[in-house]
Amino acid sequence: MKKRAQSVWKRLLAQDGLAVLLAAVLLGTGLSFIYSASWRGEETGIVGAWFVRQIWWVALGAALATVLAALDYRVWIRAAWWLYVASLGLLALVLVAGTKVYGAYRWLNVFGVLVQPSEFAKVTLVVLLARVLGGGALDPRSFGTIAVGLLLLAPPFLLILVEPDLGTAAVLVPTAAIMLFAAGAAFRYLAGLALLGAAGVGLALSPLGHFLLSDYQHERILTFLDPSRDPLGAGWNALQSAIAVGSGGFWGKGYLNGSQNVLGFLPRTVAPTDFIFPVIAEETGFIGASALLLVFAFLLARYLRTAWTAGDPAGSLLATGIAGLLFCHVFVNVGMTIGLLPITGLPLPFVSSGGSFMVSTLAGFGLVQSVHVRRMRREV
Amino acid sequence: MARARPVPDVHVWRLLLTGLVMLACFGGLVFRLWNLQVAQGTEYQRRLAKQSLRSVRLPGIRGRIFDRRGVALADNRPSYCVSLYLEEFRQAGPSQRTVDCVMETLYRLAETMDRPLQLGPQDVRLHLGRRTPLPLVAWRDLDAMAVARFQERSAEFPGAALTVEPVRVYPQGKSACHLLGYVGRADEAKMTGAADDPDEKFHYYLPEMAGKSGVEKRLDGVLRAFEGGKLQIQVDVAGFKFDEVSRREPQPGSDVTLALDARIQRAAEDALAGERGAVVVVDPRNGDVLALASLPGYDPNDFVPSVPAAIWDALRNDPARPLYNRASGGEYAPGSTFKPVTLLAALQAGAVSAETRYSCPGYFQLGSARFRCWQHWGHGSIDLQAAIRYSCNVYLFHAALAAGPEAVQAMARACGFGRETGISLDFERPGLVPDNDWKRRERRDSWRDGDTCNLSIGQGALLATPLQMALYAAALANGGTLWKPRLAARIVSAAGVTNDIPAERAPAGPRWDARHIAAVRAGMRDAVNEPDGSGKRAKLDGIVVAAKTGTAEYGVKGSGRKMTWMIAFAPFEEPRYAVALLVEDGVSGGTTAAPRVKQLLTRTFNEVEGLGLPPVPAPDAAPAVPDAAAPEEEPA
Repeated sequence: MKKRAQSVWKRLLAQDGLAVLLAAVLLGTGLSFIYSASWRGEETGIVGAWFVRQIWWVALGAALATVLAALDYRVWIRAAWWLYVASLGLLALVLVAGTKVYGAYRWLNVFGVLVQPSEFAKVTLVVLLARVLGGGALDPRSFGTIAVGLLLLAPPFLLILVEPDLGTAAVLVPTAAIMLFAAGAAFRYLAGLALLGAAGVGLALSPLGHFLLSDYQHERILTFLDPSRDPLGAGWNALQSAIAVGSGGFWGKGYLNGSQNVLGFLPRTVAPTDFIFPVIAEETGFIGASALLLVFAFLLARYLRTAWTAGDPAGSLLATGIAGLLFCHVFVNVGMTIGLLPITGLPLPFVSSGGSFMVSTLAGFGLVQSVHVRRMRREV
Repeated sequence: MARARPVPDVHVWRLLLTGLVMLACFGGLVFRLWNLQVAQGTEYQRRLAKQSLRSVRLPGIRGRIFDRRGVALADNRPSYCVSLYLEEFRQAGPSQRTVDCVMETLYRLAETMDRPLQLGPQDVRLHLGRRTPLPLVAWRDLDAMAVARFQERSAEFPGAALTVEPVRVYPQGKSACHLLGYVGRADEAKMTGAADDPDEKFHYYLPEMAGKSGVEKRLDGVLRAFEGGKLQIQVDVAGFKFDEVSRREPQPGSDVTLALDARIQRAAEDALAGERGAVVVVDPRNGDVLALASLPGYDPNDFVPSVPAAIWDALRNDPARPLYNRASGGEYAPGSTFKPVTLLAALQAGAVSAETRYSCPGYFQLGSARFRCWQHWGHGSIDLQAAIRYSCNVYLFHAALAAGPEAVQAMARACGFGRETGISLDFERPGLVPDNDWKRRERRDSWRDGDTCNLSIGQGALLATPLQMALYAAALANGGTLWKPRLAARIVSAAGVTNDIPAERAPAGPRWDARHIAAVRAGMRDAVNEPDGSGKRAKLDGIVVAAKTGTAEYGVKGSGRKMTWMIAFAPFEEPRYAVALLVEDGVSGGTTAAPRVKQLLTRTFNEVEGLGLPPVPAPDAAPAVPDAAAPEEEPA
C-alpha cells in the first residue's frame, strides 16, 4: 500500500513542471481578473460571488487533473467507446431535460449545479479519436481514416449544434482535423475536408443559412461582419469589447481600473466569462494581452512536446487533440473579442469563469500530464 | 517513468507544422491587438470618452446692475434648494423602482420640512430618463425654517443635500422696469462654451438665466459669464454618475454701472404717477440717460425665473399696456415742442431772422383753408422769441412756408427725428419725418403747403419718441450737440477690469448758428419764466428753467384726445438736465405736462444737488377745468 502511494507521488512529480507552472499562471490570471470584472457587481448586488465560486471550480478541476495525471491514460483509451456513448447519451438528455439559459439548452441541472455535457463530450471525442486513429487498425493515409473520423465527429457535433452552441460545436471540427493530420492523413483528403468546411461556412452566411442556423446565430455572424449595424443589440458586446481592448493602449489602465468593465459597458454578465479577455486587455494593455497569448503559446508548445515524446500513438494523438482543443478555444475566444471572428460565446480556457468548462480544461490538462508521465525518451 | 521503446508512428514534422500554424495564428492575434491597442488606441479612447463622459455647463453668477451711484438695480440672492443625487437611490430592476424609491424619500422630506412637494413622479421619471447623472433639484427657494428642519435631520436622508442657486432680484421693484428688463430661462442652444473652443458642446445645461428684455437683454453678453464652467462626469452604462472627472469653475459675469440715477428715475416715475406716459431725463453734457420711465409698468421680479400665467395674462390684457416701453418705443406727434426745429430751420435757411415779425390775427389763411392759432383773438405782431414764448402757430406757418418744407425736414432729421437713437432697447421706434416721397408713397398725393403748416407745429404725420425728444431737448440745452444716449457708463469684470464707456455723439447732428440757438433758447426761457408764457407752470424759484410745451391732437378729429408734452432743460445757463415728458390723454402741455416737469426738476435739484427748493404738491391737484392755455393748437 505504501509502495503504491510512493509510486503515485513519483508519477505526479514526473509531470511537465513547466506546463504546470504555465497553467498555474493562467489560473491565477483568471481568478484575478474575474475578481476585477465582478467586484463592482457584488457591491450593487447584481452579480453574485463569481470569484468565490470560481475558486471552488478551480480546486475541483485541479483535483481531477491530479487524479487523471496519476492514472494511466490507457484506461480511458480502452474505455473510449463507452465514454463516447455515455457523452452522446448526456447530450441527448440535455435536449430532453436540459435547463434553458439565454434561449439555449446547454445545461443539465445536477443537484442544483448546472453542468454542460458538451464539455464532457469534447474530451471523450478526443479520447475516442486517439484510440481509433492511434490503434493501428486503419491505414492513416486511406480515405477510410477520414471517413471514420468524420463519422465519429458527426453525432456530438450535431447534438451540440442543435442545443444550440455553435461555438463549442465549431471547435470540434478543427480539433478533429488536427488529430487526423497528426495521425498522418493524406493531404488531399484533408484539403477536400477544408474545402467542404469553407463551403459550409459560405452556405451558413448566405440567405440559405436561415434554414441551417437559428436566427440568432445568423444574426451574430452578420453582426460580426458589420458590428455597427445594431449597436445596442447583437453588436453591443462586439463593439464594447473592441472599445475595451482598443482603449487599453500599450500599457493598460491598471488593475481594477478598466472603465469599460467598471462602468458596465462590457456587460457584467459576460465580462467574467466569455469577455474576460477584453477586461485583461483593457487593464493591462497590449503588453499584458500579448504576454497572456505568449503563455498560451508556451503551454501549447509543451502539449505538443508531450505528444512528440508520448509512449504510444494513442497517447500522442490524445495530447495533440487536447492541444487542438486548447488552441481552438483560445483563438476563437480572443479572435471574437478583438473583432476577428463572430461572437460565438466561447470562454477562454483556464481564465474565464465557468464550472464545467474549467473542469474539462483541467481534465484535458491532467490527461496530457498522464501521457507526459508515461513518455519515452527521445533524442532531441 | 520514460520508457525506451521506439514509436515510429508519431509524425514529428506533422506535429512541428501543427505547432507552427498555431504560432502563426497567435501571431495574427497579436498583430490585431497591436492594431487595436497601439495603432488605433487613441481612436478607441475617444470612443470610450464619447460614451462614458458627459459634460455639463455650469452657469456663472450673473453680473449686477447698478445706478450711477452704486445703488443696486438688479442683484442676485441665494435660493436654498434640496437636491437628490439619484445614483444613491438607484434600485436594481425596472426604473420604476428607482422612481418609487426617490418619491418615498421626497414624501419623507416633505414631512420633515413641512413643505409641500414641488415634484411629482412624472418629473422624477423625466429627470431619470433625460438627466440621469445630474442631481434632481426637489425643492427650490426654501425658507429659513424649512432649511433648518432639513439640516437638523439631514443624516436621515443620505443622497439628499442642501444646495444654493442664485436668483435674480430687482430691489427697486417696478422702478425702471422697462429700462432694466428682466431675465428668464436661457435658451440652451445659445449657450457657449469656453472662448478658446467655440464649438464646444455640452451634454447637459444647468438652468441659467438670460436677459429677455431691456438692459438685461442688451448687455446679456456682459452680464452673463464670459466663460461658463464645465463639469465632466463619468457615467456608467445606465447613465448614472460614476465619478467627477474634471471641473472648471465658471467666471462670474461683469457688473454694469448705468448712467441712470435711481433718485431721478424715482422722481420721474412719481411725476407721472397715475398717468400713461413717459419721461426721459438726459444729461445735456454727455448724453447720459439719467432717467427713462414709462408708465404704467410691471414688477420684473414677477418674471423670475418665469412669469406666472395669471400675471402674464393680466399684463397683456391691460388696456394701459404696462409691458410697452413708451419712452423708446412709443411714437407720438410732438406738437408745439417741435416748433424750435421749424424756427431753427427757417433761421438757418435765411428765411427769417430773430428780428423778423409776423402778425397773428388768430388764424392763417392758406387758399380756402384757414389754419387757426390756439389764441383765437391772435397774438398781434410778434418776433421769433415771442413766438416761442406764446407758442404762436401763425408765426410758425409764415416761417415754415418761407423756409420751405425741405429745410424743416432736414433740420428735423439733423435733430434726430425719424431715426433710431441707438439706445438698443427692444422695440425702439424711429418715429417719422413726413416728406414728399413719404406722402406720395403712403397717401398717393403730393406735398402741399398745408402739410408744411402742419409739420411746422409738430402735427400731421410727424412722429417722435420721448427719448428722441429728450435728446433733442439736450441739444437745445447744450447749443447743438446731439448725443447718442448712454445707458451703461461702466463695466467692471469679475477680475476687476474696468471699462468706461465714453459719451458718443449721434452720427449727424445739427449745426446751429450761435445767434439762432440763443434766440430760440431765450424764447424757451421766456415761455417758463414770463407770467404769460405757455410753460409758466414749470417755473422754479431760484433755478431758471427753459421749456417748450406741446399738445397734439390724435385719433379721430374732434375726439379731443391729446398727447401732452413738455421738453425742458435747466439750469438755463449751464444745463445739467434735459427732460422730455409725455402724458397720454392729458389736457394740454401747459396744464398737464408743465407741473409734472416742475415736480421732477424740483426733486432732482433737491435730492441730487441738495438745493432747498420748495416741494411741489403732486400734480394730480391740477385744475379740472381747462384754463386759457388750452387748447394750444387747433389745426384746421
